[in-house]
Amino acid sequence: MSTKEKLISHVMKEEPVGSRNKVTVVGVGMVGMASAVSILLKDLCDELALVDVMEDKLKGEAMDLQHGSLFLKTHRIVADKDYSVTANSKVVVVTAGARQQEGESRLNLVQRNVNIFKFIIPNIVKIIFKSCPLCGFPRHRVIGSGTNLDSARFRHLMGEKLHLHPSSCHGWIIGEHGDSSVPVWSGVNVAGVCLQGLNPKMGAEGDAENWKAVHKLVVDGAYEVIKLKGYTSWAIGMSVADLVESILKNLHKVHPVSTLVQGMHGVKDEVFLSVPCVLGNSGLTDVIQMTLKADEEKQLVKSAETLWGVQKELTL
Amino acid sequence: MLITWWYLYLTVRSIAEKSLKMASILQKLITPLFSGPPEPPRNKVTVVGVGQVGMACAVSILLRELVDELALVDVMEDKLKGEMMDLQHGSLFLKTPKIVADKDYSVTANSRIVVVTAGVRQQEGESRLNLVQRNVNIFKHIIPQIVRYSPECIIIVVSNPVDVLTYVTWKLSGLPKHRVIGSGTNLDSARFRFLMADKLGIHASSFNGWILGEHGDTSVPVWSGTNVAGVNLQTLNPDIGTDSDEENWKETHKMVVDSAYEVIKLKGYTNWAIGLSVADLTESLIRNMNRIHPVSTMVQGMYGISDEVYLSLPCVLNNGGVASVVNMTLTEEEVAQLQASASTLWDIQRDLQDV
Repeated sequence: MSTKEKLISHVMKEEPVGSRNKVTVVGVGMVGMASAVSILLKDLCDELALVDVMEDKLKGEAMDLQHGSLFLKTHRIVADKDYSVTANSKVVVVTAGARQQEGESRLNLVQRNVNIFKFIIPNIVKIIFKSCPLCGFPRHRVIGSGTNLDSARFRHLMGEKLHLHPSSCHGWIIGEHGDSSVPVWSGVNVAGVCLQGLNPKMGAEGDAENWKAVHKLVVDGAYEVIKLKGYTSWAIGMSVADLVESILKNLHKVHPVSTLVQGMHGVKDEVFLSVPCVLGNSGLTDVIQMTLKADEEKQLVKSAETLWGVQKELTL
Repeated sequence: MLITWWYLYLTVRSIAEKSLKMASILQKLITPLFSGPPEPPRNKVTVVGVGQVGMACAVSILLRELVDELALVDVMEDKLKGEMMDLQHGSLFLKTPKIVADKDYSVTANSRIVVVTAGVRQQEGESRLNLVQRNVNIFKHIIPQIVRYSPECIIIVVSNPVDVLTYVTWKLSGLPKHRVIGSGTNLDSARFRFLMADKLGIHASSFNGWILGEHGDTSVPVWSGTNVAGVNLQTLNPDIGTDSDEENWKETHKMVVDSAYEVIKLKGYTNWAIGLSVADLTESLIRNMNRIHPVSTMVQGMYGISDEVYLSLPCVLNNGGVASVVNMTLTEEEVAQLQASASTLWDIQRDLQDV
């Protein structure tokens, strides 16, 4: 008898149940690994799968995480370039693709990444939907990380200005995750006290406190970090783990994430923009209808048009 | 003259109006109940070095919610600022309200624990011992500054070769030996427990096994202590860990020794596992847990070792540092291995310049 057989008697007659809260991360670059580590440290999943095309890097990252198993509560960490390793995932986080160069806007990356996605997405769908290949992928199960990060940055800066923790500073940035994101000043509040009520010029040009600069810092935030350290990873990783938590724990928490907004706020095109959405284990089930000012709606429509302008040029 | 005074008056009035208006917005919102200098941090940790290992340590410590203030130090100013900003942007998701960074060590003042990850890293195929003198020169600059700003701190040394550099840190810092700890074989033991547990189909925390001695090629797996639920594996398999073992369990220890080299070959460096292991040590220290970890401590006088060297032994860690050391029951061969490691390390240490 082997040592294992002497030590352990197997008593369960059925097949093991397998994972119930599996998360896959596609892409093991800085963002993918920051997301993976944040998810692991928050004890969110019982199995983590990593996928990438760079086989050595992928294997190295998986081994490095496995070596930390003693300190984690995720018993299975697997990795392969073959997508079969992602089977039964509840959530798939796609971070693969080319990244912004210094000074490059996000919209410039698009066609480069579309080509990569043309390979990745059908592979994911095939594994998740193996029993129903002809089903279209329902839109409540496709979520963009969107302005969850922009809003987090905004709340951090707001917290610095008011000497409060970001979680006590409420503010929503919606629309495009990028240069034309829309800060909804009318909603910015602390303990329900609307700050625009205290300072009617908030976010406008004549504002002595220059809150508009806070939004500009959010927009420039990513570019600045990229200039200093070459990329951003930690904040987006934590923000992804925040979204995954709401989904896996069925929290019905509201997050500003990217969803199909055609028909809302005057948007006519088939585009995805961030609005406050309810996230649970079915995915993105509801959208909060914000009361926006006329110029805020105009900004959203303009973002939508800009995005549609890029999208219609793409070869899909 | 009168006109100058008039303009001066207008300027002062407009400034007063502006500040009154600005103050009134914040004042309208918030009524302070207590004003005075802010309290110093109670659970501050500094990480020196914002490379892959330093940042993995920082993120693990932050996500484990161990600290109320985190300071980062490095010489590369842009990278340092970028990393600090990236972490600050995630502060909504964290419970650490203050994250600071500077190349000036004054930013580290009042730290309870300082994690030193600075230094050059192993190249592919390079052994840890080769790095030594390169890293000693860097430490001569770092350690005195740490102690200057946080004279009561506990230093955790991570940079390799960790046992030698922990000795160097102890000498350069002038701190009592129980407050200078090397991350040592905490990681080797974690890897060992993972690999052994994986073979048995259980979680790493349910497999008990200790790797002691040098963090590196000559680490010592204490086979006589390996157990699951108190069932001693060596009793089930008396050949365990020897060359005559049919099941070749010794291979697992070899895999532990080779792990770092393998991960480095595949991805260029290791960071996640060491980051998690440092957070684990930090937790025991900050939370005053009296938990036992295999970390590098001054072992002169133990196991027949007469040199001033640091090697990993099971240490009880609490908020004072290394409170005590567990006396392992080791075989003659295991003791001989420890003594051999001690001489190898002493041979390197006595040739070091300026320690």
